[in-house]
Amino acid sequence: MTHIVVVDNHGQFTHLEKRALRDLGVDVDLVENTTDPADVDADGIVLSGGPSMERAGRSADYLDLDVPVLGICLGMQLIADELGGRVGSGDYGGYADVTVDIVDEDDPLVGSLAPETRVWASHADEVKELPEGFTLTATSDVCDVEAMSDADRDLYGVQWHPEVAHTERGEEVFENFLERC
Amino acid sequence: MVDVDEFIGEAKAEISEELGDSTAIIALSGGVDSSTAAALAYEAVGEQLVPVYVDTGLMRKGETEEIEEVFGYMDSLRVVDAADRFLGALEGVTDPEEKRKVIGEQFIREFETVAGETDADYLVQGTIYPDRIESEGNIKSHHNVGGLPDAVDFEGIVEPLRDLYKDEVRSVARELGLEEVISERMPFPGPGLAVRVVGEVTAEKVRVAREATHIVEDELEEYEPWQAFAAVLGRATGVKGDNRVHGHVVAVRSVESRDGMTARAQELDWETLQRLQSRITGTVEDVSRVVYDVTHKPPATIEYE
Repeated sequence: MTHIVVVDNHGQFTHLEKRALRDLGVDVDLVENTTDPADVDADGIVLSGGPSMERAGRSADYLDLDVPVLGICLGMQLIADELGGRVGSGDYGGYADVTVDIVDEDDPLVGSLAPETRVWASHADEVKELPEGFTLTATSDVCDVEAMSDADRDLYGVQWHPEVAHTERGEEVFENFLERC
Repeated sequence: MVDVDEFIGEAKAEISEELGDSTAIIALSGGVDSSTAAALAYEAVGEQLVPVYVDTGLMRKGETEEIEEVFGYMDSLRVVDAADRFLGALEGVTDPEEKRKVIGEQFIREFETVAGETDADYLVQGTIYPDRIESEGNIKSHHNVGGLPDAVDFEGIVEPLRDLYKDEVRSVARELGLEEVISERMPFPGPGLAVRVVGEVTAEKVRVAREATHIVEDELEEYEPWQAFAAVLGRATGVKGDNRVHGHVVAVRSVESRDGMTARAQELDWETLQRLQSRITGTVEDVSRVVYDVTHKPPATIEYE
């Protein structure tokens, strides 16, 4: 059975990421972000959201495991920050309802949601510049980088929360990720 | 979604094994979580379980009577009238976290008394997964994971629902045959109407929150909200029958949700809103203004405090 590890960056929805994956029938473990990646044996990693980069522990080290990684909210920002992109404050701290435009229909993670999808997000911080090798896959009126992918390295990020019940087709994002794991 | 049959079997086995021949108490709040935990435990150990319902004076309209009726089949049920003690303890308290703490401490005192009288060695609690998360994350403290175990020297605490979400608890409740008034009951916070009064809790403001919440639940039934209620925010000027009044401002909240983790404010039509306004200002004494809360969660929470 596919085994996914969710790395907890202290986000209030982290446990819903675990639940969403559990409900899709895969084996899921939730681990503290202080856990040594060497102690983790997974087919895929989810880096959860959370309140601040300072509390992200060893999350960035999980990018070296050579398995697919999905970063959610802070998890995506962390990927950008670690791999040479740039993260900054959002202009508009938009919460809840956002309509996201999918700009890359062929993207393995969010392409199937094209042309647009309604999501729940918070934009206190956001990715300002993509790291090298990444493609912009989704955007919105309140945030330029809503999602990004590097399909060659199987590294993916979404600014919104696919795990919460009010995000439409959030499950599909996890299904698409599992396809890659 | 958890496998309900399997869960019920395992949970009952766990409760029986933990308790052995000992007596356990459980706090019934009237909500679906504690009711389901009580029904499970009662199926597992029968009269070894003493369900305790504390009427804090902060309950919804008719709640105490409903509990007595639904759980009357458990001979060991105890109903404690503690309204005066809770309101006394809340006098002058305005900070939301302090309120929760005061209420939690008063609950502990009430349960200490009952635990002593019944020689209970175990405590059963209806704690569910999001309660643990919110308490750990310091978003809100939940009194049911609070200080009772520190104050009473229980041999053990059993939390059979600790890994479930609210929607899963409802499935378990239905499977256990709990009456619809319980299994489909709207979530109601542990500290009761106290968190629907912004600022100091007084008998007067609790009365307004109770009556107005009753009207909201009644009027909005057809919208099938996940949770709907009224809160008392403060006072504002109004005019009733040519007289100036400085009456309460009542906020109406009605949300849809799956698990309470995120929520959407419901879209109500103007006529419904006006009927709510008219019934609340017309029948609840000393209310001069009604507002409808359009904020989702996040950024707001469902309850006000």
